Amino acid sequence: MVAHPRATARAHRLRPLNQAKPIEVEADESGEPWGVVLERERLVVAAVQDRWRIDDEWWREQPVSRLYFSVLLGGGRTLTIYRDLVTGRWFQQNYA
Amino acid sequence: MRLACVWLPHFPIAIERRNSPALNRRPVIIGETTEQRGAVLDCSAEAEGQGVRVGMPLRQALGLCPSASFLPPDLPRYGDAFDQILRALETMSPLVDPAALGCAFIGLGGLNGHYRDEMALGDALAQVVRRASGLMPSIGLAEGKFTAQVAATVSAPGEVCLVPPRQGRKFLAPIDVSLLPCSRDTLRHLELFGLRTMGDLASLPLGAVQAQFGAEGRRIWDLARGIDREPLRPLRREESIREHLAFYAPLISREALVTAGRQLLTRLLGQPAMRGRAARRMTLRALLSDGRSWERAIVFREATSDREQMLCVLKTAVETAPLTAPIEELSIELSGFAGETGKQEGFCSGDRRRQPQVAEAVHQLKARYGRSPVLQVVEVEPWSRIPERRHALIDYDP
Repeated sequence: MVAHPRATARAHRLRPLNQAKPIEVEADESGEPWGVVLERERLVVAAVQDRWRIDDEWWREQPVSRLYFSVLLGGGRTLTIYRDLVTGRWFQQNYA
Repeated sequence: MRLACVWLPHFPIAIERRNSPALNRRPVIIGETTEQRGAVLDCSAEAEGQGVRVGMPLRQALGLCPSASFLPPDLPRYGDAFDQILRALETMSPLVDPAALGCAFIGLGGLNGHYRDEMALGDALAQVVRRASGLMPSIGLAEGKFTAQVAATVSAPGEVCLVPPRQGRKFLAPIDVSLLPCSRDTLRHLELFGLRTMGDLASLPLGAVQAQFGAEGRRIWDLARGIDREPLRPLRREESIREHLAFYAPLISREALVTAGRQLLTRLLGQPAMRGRAARRMTLRALLSDGRSWERAIVFREATSDREQMLCVLKTAVETAPLTAPIEELSIELSGFAGETGKQEGFCSGDRRRQPQVAEAVHQLKARYGRSPVLQVVEVEPWSRIPERRHALIDYDP
C-alpha cells in the first residue's frame, strides 16, 4: 500500500475496495450460522470463533447495523461473514 | 544433585601466558589502557601479592606494581578459548553450565556408571580440559554449586577435591568466609563480629544472621551450611554457521576488508543451512597481526538472507572499527535463523531511476485505452469501523 498522496481526491475516479459480497448462509433460529454455500458447495460451520457488532451512520437514511461472525469451516478455512440487521441479508467481507 | 566445578583461576592471564610464555612468573595486569579511568580486569598471583585486585583503577595498580606487564583485554580471544573448553566438556555431559570465564559446572547425573569412581570422573574432566586448552584446571565435586566451587578453588591445578554426599557443612567449616559471594560491607561486618570461618557462621542461629544481614544473611548462612539451591543452567547452543578467510599478506585497507566480507557472505549464503532461511545476527571477528582480535556482533533490524543488506551493515561496522593493526584473518558467523519471509516491494518505492520509465509506460497505456489501467490503493477513512470505507482504488496517474 502506498501513503496517502495528500492531493485532492478525485471522487469520480475512486473505486470501492473490499466491498461486501452476498453469500448464502444457513442459520438457526437464534441467527447463529451453521452452514455456508461457497462456490456452489455447502460447507458446515465447525465453530464460530468470534462475533462483533457495528452500528454506525445512524443519522443517515440507510444506517449501518451489522453482526459479524468469524467462522471456522469444516475444511479448516476461516471466513468473515455478517448479517445486515436492517435487511436481514448475509454478506462475506474481510475485516482486518 | 552431584556437580563438578571446573575451575581455571585467572583465565585471561592463563590465555595470555599460553600465547606469550615470556609472561610466566612475572606480574601481569590486564586492563583497558586506552582510558586513564580503566580498571583491572584480571591480574596474576604475582601482582595480587603486591596488593593489586580485580576492579581496582589501573592507576592505583600501576602505583602498587610498577614492574607489571600491562596488557589490553582481548575478550574475543578469551571467549573463544573458553568456548573450546565448554565444547570439550559437552562431549562428556550435556549438562554444562558456564558460570563465568574460567568456571563451569557440570551435572554428573548418569555419568558415574561410566567411571570407576568419582575421582576417576574428576580426573577425566581435567584431562579433557587439558587436551582442549593446554591448561590444567582444578576440579571440585560436591552437592550444590557453591560447595563444588569452593572445593575447586582450594585445590591445586590438576587436583580433584571430592566432597562426599551430606558432608558439605563439615568440608566448608574451616574455610575462610572471604570465599562467600557477598558484598564487601557484609564481609567487613563478618570480620568485625569475629566470624572468620564458615563454621563460625553456620553455628549461629538463622534469626540472628538474618536480623543483621537481611536476605543476604539467609543466603550466606545456607551456603555456609552447604545448602545451595541455585539450579544448574545448562548451556543451550544456538545453531550458527561460520566462514573464515586467512590473508596471505595482512590487510591494511578497509575496502579490502569489505571485499573479503563480500566473499565470506557469498560462501555463507550458499551453504545448505541457509536454504530458505534468514539470519537475525551477524558476528564479525578479525585477527590482527599483533596477536589481538576484534569482534563485533550485529543484530539486523529483521531477519535477512540478502547479501547486499548484510554487506551494507558490514561496511558500516568495518568503517567504524578501531583496528589498530593489519588484519590476518576475518571470520563471519551467522546465527538466529528464521524462516525466510517474502518482502513486497512498493510499486512506487523501488528504484527511483525506474520511475520515469513507469510513468512513460502508464502514459502509453492511457493513450491506447483512454484511461490508466494501473490503479493504486489510497487511504480514505482508515479509522472507519466499516471495512469498505477505509481504502479505495484510484487511477495511477504519475
